[in-house]
Amino acid sequence: AKFILRKAEPKDVSDILRLIKELAKYEEMENQVILTEEDLLEDGFGDHPFYHCIVADVPEEHQSADAHVIIGFAMYYFTYDPWIGKLLYLEDFYVMKEYRGFGIGSEILKKLSHTAVRTRCSSMHFIVAEWNKPSIEFYKRRGASDLSLEEGWRLFKIDKHNLMKMTDEE
Amino acid sequence: MSPLVIRRRAADARRETELAEYEKVSDQIKITQRDLEQDGFSKNPFFHGIIAEVPEHLKSKDGHPKIGYSLYFCTYSSWKGRAVYMEDLYVRPEFRGKGIGKALMAKVAQLGLAAGCTQLNFTVLDWNKSSLDFYLKQGCWDVTSDLGYHCMRCEGDALQHLAQGDL
Repeated sequence: AKFILRKAEPKDVSDILRLIKELAKYEEMENQVILTEEDLLEDGFGDHPFYHCIVADVPEEHQSADAHVIIGFAMYYFTYDPWIGKLLYLEDFYVMKEYRGFGIGSEILKKLSHTAVRTRCSSMHFIVAEWNKPSIEFYKRRGASDLSLEEGWRLFKIDKHNLMKMTDEE
Repeated sequence: MSPLVIRRRAADARRETELAEYEKVSDQIKITQRDLEQDGFSKNPFFHGIIAEVPEHLKSKDGHPKIGYSLYFCTYSSWKGRAVYMEDLYVRPEFRGKGIGKALMAKVAQLGLAAGCTQLNFTVLDWNKSSLDFYLKQGCWDVTSDLGYHCMRCEGDALQHLAQGDL
């Protein structure tokens, strides 16, 4: 399939949100997405963006069954490890089902790792659900290691309600 | 507990060394104090730090008033938006059990909420029972256990090969 990868622009936010929701649906978490197009616009395209996005575009004649031209994306940002410095964190990475198997995902990952190396990041980090065997295989084939299994790291989360409780108690 | 000052100051590389020793991986620190200063205090810093300091008369046995710190930065959830990630939280052993860790974490929570963040994320090693208990008591939950999400990493040669398009 013919496609191009490019940096996302403000006009892409509705496609980005559509793909975020598609990926969340695949992970059976669709009702967890409360982000809006306004959030994406404000947080991704201001002076200090909270995230960066690459999108995969196909020509109009190859548009999806429901007439979309943007058929894949990756959302990432920079994090920091005080032992080794900058890291690239891959938040979301998704290609629409009908466009898989053409190497689009591999090209996106290549572009991301290129960005990581160019910006002096030592590593690329991300999370994967342990039941998501196809994705785990995809990443392991490319040399990714599972820090939860190998080193015992567990991801913890505290939500807004408990954050506010914590600040009230102090 | 006497007055405790929590200030946003330069992350002290020595604190990092202590935390790394606690986590048993001190030979993996490749960063220098200079890297921390450059990456944390430029116009667009990659991280923020807060330090817990005690008054002179209460300083540690080896003469240091800085007795704890937290290092954090903003991240983004594709589901919920702005989030804060707490990379390090550490209090020197002789000052534990006094609520300093909780105060540092509360300050990060406060700064995160002020910046429009709706969640605080961090990782903990599965053998670190005392930390796991502390965090669960603060209302945190274990995403790895409960939802099965594993932390993955692609680095070194694997990252280079990926960048060159090799498989």
